[in-house]
Amino acid sequence: MNRMVQDNEPNENSTDLELIARWSAGDERAATRLVERHAPALARFAASLGQRIDIEEIVQDTFVRAFGSIDSFRADSSLRTWLFTIERRLILDRRRAERRRKEDGTIDDADAATEFDALDEIVAEEAEARVRSAVERLSRLQREVFLLRVNEGLSYKEIAEVVGSTEGAARVHYHNAMRAVKELLYV
Amino acid sequence: MFDCANVEMRERLPELVAGTLDATTRARVEEHVAACPECASELETLRLVRAAFARAPKIDASRVVASLPRPRTVVAAPQRNAKVIRWLDWRIAAALTTITVGGLSLAVSQRMRDVTAVLPRDSAQVQSASATDPNAAGGGLPLPNKSVPHDRQTPPTDTRSSAPEPVSPAVTSPAKPQLSVGGGMGDLDDASLQSLLGALEEIDRAPVAPSAEPDRSPVLPVIKAGDR
Repeated sequence: MNRMVQDNEPNENSTDLELIARWSAGDERAATRLVERHAPALARFAASLGQRIDIEEIVQDTFVRAFGSIDSFRADSSLRTWLFTIERRLILDRRRAERRRKEDGTIDDADAATEFDALDEIVAEEAEARVRSAVERLSRLQREVFLLRVNEGLSYKEIAEVVGSTEGAARVHYHNAMRAVKELLYV
Repeated sequence: MFDCANVEMRERLPELVAGTLDATTRARVEEHVAACPECASELETLRLVRAAFARAPKIDASRVVASLPRPRTVVAAPQRNAKVIRWLDWRIAAALTTITVGGLSLAVSQRMRDVTAVLPRDSAQVQSASATDPNAAGGGLPLPNKSVPHDRQTPPTDTRSSAPEPVSPAVTSPAKPQLSVGGGMGDLDDASLQSLLGALEEIDRAPVAPSAEPDRSPVLPVIKAGDR
């Protein structure tokens, strides 16, 4: 088994657990495959949470933290769900730190130019801009639940794991968010 | 704006947009959406949401991979095992050395105890006998008997059983007078002397049995007075 794992190159069909095992055995290509597989979703999730700067840095920190404690990863949840959980905590920690920094009156001028502004420019179509506006009016928890469900296709159970809630609460948050977005878009 | 009453189908819409449904379920949901205007409208909204938030900066995977920590199991585990094995080796070696040295010490002390158990009783005899006859010391230490072939000599391990042999019966029965080899009569008290004299008289009074062995004493020629 190990010999086969060592000899074959990791491919699209390799599961996350197989890639983790290969990386643990010293195969760096497996780590590359894992990053390529999950980094876009992590970047998307960070952007959807309103992260305006350093998205790549956040994604990188997420992977560093995840690979540093890969032994604590339980296979009963998907790796992506686990990565989302880590990333969300990182973003919340950063926001708390930023809030404290702003309260101290030390606002960095670099904050003015953000990647989020760049993303806004990319979103050219009016319909998309309206949708973004509607989603951004949701509460933070509603937005997280809604986007994890729509963008990443996570189940309510997985969403509950990421946001630290219950499956039922995640379902309620999703339907409330859906109703609010519809009202903002069509009413 | 109404919601579809088919909750199961409606719940599958986000997964249809995200592309996480299996082929069978996907076909069922698409069939329902084709016939349900509410679900079709909601699906369109969900597609807009996904499109609006689909864009994100491209991540340089090689840069992320370069920053990852090294796997711990590859390097750390063998070193830890080697350390444990080395430590075990030392412990086993120390245990074997202790057992060997301890066993040797026990054997030597046992041997010395056997020797010293005999020595105090015979030391006086050995000292006095060695002055006249070196072989007399055999009562104390199992010295090899010169007249016995080497392979028939008593081995040292038989010291305990052979030790009392050279010692006179007086040694094992303290009530009787003790007579040391080479010692003078002055060593004996009056009672012992009396007892010894009595024993000698009994020996003298005892009838001498004719010897079965032929008399090998040299026969001297009888010289008569006239022969001179």
